[in-house]
Amino acid sequence: MNGIHDLGGMDGIGPINPKQNEPVFHDEWERRMFGMFISCFAGGHYNVDEFRHAIERMDPAHYLESSYYEHWLKSLETLLVEKGVVTEEELEARKKDIAMEDA
Amino acid sequence: MPTLTKEIVPGLIATGASCRIDEDIPAPFKIGDQVEIKNINPVTHTRLPRYVRGKKGVVDRDHGVFSFPDTGAHGLGHKPQHVYSVKFSFQELWGEDYPGNMYLYIDMFDDYMRAA
Amino acid sequence: MAHDHDHDHDHPHNKPLSDVELRVKALESVLTEKDLIDPEAIDLIVETYETKIGPRNGAKVVAKAWTDPDFKARLLDDATEAIKELGFSGVQGEDMVVVENTEDIHNIVVCTLCSCYPWPTLGLPPVWYKAAPYRAKVVKDPRGVLDEFGVSLPDSTEIRVWDSNAELRYLVLPKRPDGTDGMNEDDLANLVTRDSMIGTGLVSA
Repeated sequence: MNGIHDLGGMDGIGPINPKQNEPVFHDEWERRMFGMFISCFAGGHYNVDEFRHAIERMDPAHYLESSYYEHWLKSLETLLVEKGVVTEEELEARKKDIAMEDA
Repeated sequence: MPTLTKEIVPGLIATGASCRIDEDIPAPFKIGDQVEIKNINPVTHTRLPRYVRGKKGVVDRDHGVFSFPDTGAHGLGHKPQHVYSVKFSFQELWGEDYPGNMYLYIDMFDDYMRAA
Repeated sequence: MAHDHDHDHDHPHNKPLSDVELRVKALESVLTEKDLIDPEAIDLIVETYETKIGPRNGAKVVAKAWTDPDFKARLLDDATEAIKELGFSGVQGEDMVVVENTEDIHNIVVCTLCSCYPWPTLGLPPVWYKAAPYRAKVVKDPRGVLDEFGVSLPDSTEIRVWDSNAELRYLVLPKRPDGTDGMNEDDLANLVTRDSMIGTGLVSA
């Protein structure tokens, strides 16, 4: 698809700002997200092409403004709901429970 | 039980999951062939970026036979085919103002190309 | 069903969990409850990529290519098999291509469409490699990109940009710097930077 991900040759995106000596993961949630991607892939819930396409289907502004592993989160949520592995309601309910316990 | 348990992790990481397909498919293109990239604009998944569509290049390498992501992303099968490194001059991609010693190499599937 | 409250040390109790953190915890919690994922497997995956797999692997490949011409020939001919000789293979490195920097040619690698990168030799990619600015610019203005990395090449150098849009993964074999004759493989490997194997850096003695 002619999506926002197809960036080759686009101008005006901004400076590259390469940082040196970054940690492999910047947050604990990034670690869990990486591991979940591999685990669900091994479980055969999607293939890499479906995974990439789900990222390509993100809202374009959100794609550019969110961090890399947030793309992975959105993709997994999208695919696992589309394939009936989890429901949106289950995820929402669990979010609320966790937020309440955390408060 | 989950498919990926702790015991399986090291073997999985070390082996991976190659998309290469062991099928003896004749290659429609060979090294040195002049090719033109098709101008296709699917709304579905493709690994053909816009910036090379309609451009002319030269086949530099034949990597062999792989599964096709454009179909794989939509449950339409592997459609195994050859993948080639195709070389484009920056002048071809971005315009005559560019120097002649800049090149872009990208992996193109049989389905993305026609003979130029 | 009760869930344990995680006492993550990066999450002080006076700062509420962000929306992203909540979504990730919810997803892991639900998938674990359905017995679809194993949190201990995730722990091991994370540990492997944080501590065991990284650019020191690729540096060993480079150092061996610099000191062993037969290995270098094998590497340029069938990178997957040659790299496997050193024990590096697997996820996101199943089908490798190595491209050689010379006096006259400089190679640089990108994945414009996402973030494809040779994990077994370089580990996980840095943020800048996966983000929009590099992916957009390097296929159109590689010299401008090299400027941002403090690398300057003569106008006469041929530039080759490799967009790894399929399942081949690309590794740059950087030029061996002058003044390294007689250095052993380990010492040579220590000179090799991650960026030099992507093509956004050069190796110096």
